[in-house]
Amino acid sequence: MLHAQGINKSYTMGSSEVRVLRGASLQAQEGEFLVIVGASGSGKSTLLHILGALDIPDRGTVKFEGQDLFQQSNGFRERYRNERVGFVFQFYHLLPELSVLENVVLPRLITHSGLAWWGARREARRDAEEMLERVGLQHRVRHRPRELSGGERQRVAVARALLNRPSLLLADEPTGNLDEKIGGDLLDLLVELNRDGQTIVMVTHDPKVASRAHRRVTLTAGVLRNVLD
Amino acid sequence: MYKWFLVWRYLHTKLIALFGTASVTLCVAMVLVVLSVMGGFLDTIRTRSRGLHSEIVLDGGSMQGFPYYEEFGAYVKRQLPEVVRLVTPTVYSYGVFRIPATAYTKPARVLGIRLEEYVQVNSLKEGLHYEHYYPGSTHFGKQAMPVAGFTEAGVLKLPPDLEAANAKWRAAEQDPHVLEQYDEAPYEIAQYPRVTASPGQRVYSVGFDGPRYAGAERYGIVVGADLLYERRKTDGSFERYLARGAEVALTLMPLSQSGNVTGEPPVRIPLRYVDDSRTGIFEIDSLSVYVDFAMVQQKLGMDAQPLIDGSFSKPRANQILIGLNEGVDLNAAQKAISDEWSAFLGTLGMDLTLTDQQSLSYVQVYTWEDLQKHFINAVEKEKVLMLIILGIICLVAIALVGLIFFMIVEKKTRDIGILKALGASGRGVAALFMGYAGMVGITGAILGTIVGSLFVWNINDIQEALAWINPQLRVWTPDVYSFDRIPEAVKLADAIWVASVAVVASVIGSVVPAFLAGRVWPVDALRYE
Repeated sequence: MLHAQGINKSYTMGSSEVRVLRGASLQAQEGEFLVIVGASGSGKSTLLHILGALDIPDRGTVKFEGQDLFQQSNGFRERYRNERVGFVFQFYHLLPELSVLENVVLPRLITHSGLAWWGARREARRDAEEMLERVGLQHRVRHRPRELSGGERQRVAVARALLNRPSLLLADEPTGNLDEKIGGDLLDLLVELNRDGQTIVMVTHDPKVASRAHRRVTLTAGVLRNVLD
Repeated sequence: MYKWFLVWRYLHTKLIALFGTASVTLCVAMVLVVLSVMGGFLDTIRTRSRGLHSEIVLDGGSMQGFPYYEEFGAYVKRQLPEVVRLVTPTVYSYGVFRIPATAYTKPARVLGIRLEEYVQVNSLKEGLHYEHYYPGSTHFGKQAMPVAGFTEAGVLKLPPDLEAANAKWRAAEQDPHVLEQYDEAPYEIAQYPRVTASPGQRVYSVGFDGPRYAGAERYGIVVGADLLYERRKTDGSFERYLARGAEVALTLMPLSQSGNVTGEPPVRIPLRYVDDSRTGIFEIDSLSVYVDFAMVQQKLGMDAQPLIDGSFSKPRANQILIGLNEGVDLNAAQKAISDEWSAFLGTLGMDLTLTDQQSLSYVQVYTWEDLQKHFINAVEKEKVLMLIILGIICLVAIALVGLIFFMIVEKKTRDIGILKALGASGRGVAALFMGYAGMVGITGAILGTIVGSLFVWNINDIQEALAWINPQLRVWTPDVYSFDRIPEAVKLADAIWVASVAVVASVIGSVVPAFLAGRVWPVDALRYE
């Protein structure tokens, strides 16, 4: 499903260049729960952003279902982010002005233009409510993000990421900002989603969290290596 | 769809948008107020100017006047029957107006007119006060002073002709409120019957011998409202002190045909104040008096004068006013009448005296617009200048909107990242912020139009309130701006124009920050804290 090959990425910090990824390669199969582990600052998030077409590698390819993301147009990558991949971030990244339901529906609002939206709005609302029910927040639809706990916010982020039923869920330290109990609950949710067929690529530095995945790869010195149990 | 959805939500929840909206509101209100007041001022000048003269004026350009005005009137009516509706001559001079009993003395511009004809070529009649309530009673002919008195039934009445004239007005008046107001004070009684009265709207002398006319018969005079009265009320109306028909005097200095002072002593003419006129232009109402054409022509020595050879000189006038038929183009009429004037001069032959030739050569054909051009142009320029200044202020408002949107984009960088992570395009994000600015502009334009319109509609009351707090705050005085009231009408076209420009300006102000928002790299935005 997802095949990254020889990813290189470096940043300029002042006058020096920091090479974060040095030919990282990775393959994720459909239905797989893959975890990328590594120390803080090792480039895990950078790799995840590249896999989600939020960032561009200096070198290397990322193929999704056979198509090289960075050989395609901007429009293709925008559709990819909107329809094929869902993001869950460590800091939730919900829009504070919108209610829980509106945050979840946002990807569908982006999918449709003005007129098309009028035809699709009922279905979008139904899907969003369904997703919120799935993550256990059906009673919070009208609340604003600031009225929710950290765990609830992250569940909203998961519901939003899954609204357009993407093939791939990319999660960047989703439990990093939660306490152990809440983080554990969220992890249970991800495992459950994966059990239902959702492909997940998750980044974490927590070995406990990583242990719940099918497969773990570790990012060290900009290169990925498989971790054997 | 997310663009409009977020625009709507941001507009509701973002305090910073209020600053943008407030700046657009103030800008729109300010421009609308200035445009309405200056535009109204200009329109009033145009309307009033048109009502001051006739459509076409032949002006002698010199105080001693020009001959053959009567002959040309008949000639031009004959030559251009489809253009010319009415021709009437006027004489003008300068003199001293005086109310003998109070020794109130003022300089005056004296206009000798044929009242019945004059009121048909301009709007003087609309400004005649007593003529309004007693139609047909204002005339320049010899007349005594009307005195109110008690009838046998013990009711205070004016002489029968005035009561009949008033009944005619009452029958024609449609507004019951106006009749009600009139009935509250049909006329004030003069305290000192011959001269002054209790202040009021319609002031008559009162006697004990029943309604009648008293005193010597004198020619009538119509006096400019601001020349006669000191007391101008805040609503623009006047409180009259002088009883109708009171004796006043006009002193004139006759000129010879060649423009010299004749050497005769100045002519003092006793007259009766029959009415007052209000054109609404302070310069005119504070200076003008209107008297009978033939009478003043004779007093000024501009009528036919005996010559050494036993013949008589031609009578002279200073202007010929020409009223045009409906629908006639003003400039085309000016040209046609100008041509006819040249042709008419050709018909006069070689027997003109040198003085006649000179005075006829000064005559120019003007439209009413030409006569007021200096005034109208000055106000037009003033209006343009004000709009330029306001345009600069609006540029500042655009810059302010731009600045506010830079701040909004800065503040919303993380949201931009989220939207892009969810699949929003750079163009879509830019459109979101431009739409946001457009909505700020629309909201500001609507509020500004409401605020500006309310301000303009109540501008006179606002000024009165300010003047009540401190008289120095009265910015609009009739002697400076000619008109006694600040124009208080808002034109729909002006409001639409100003509001549209404000919306466009707001969008323009947001272009650069919106463009930068569209270019934000999602991963940078998500890292942004």
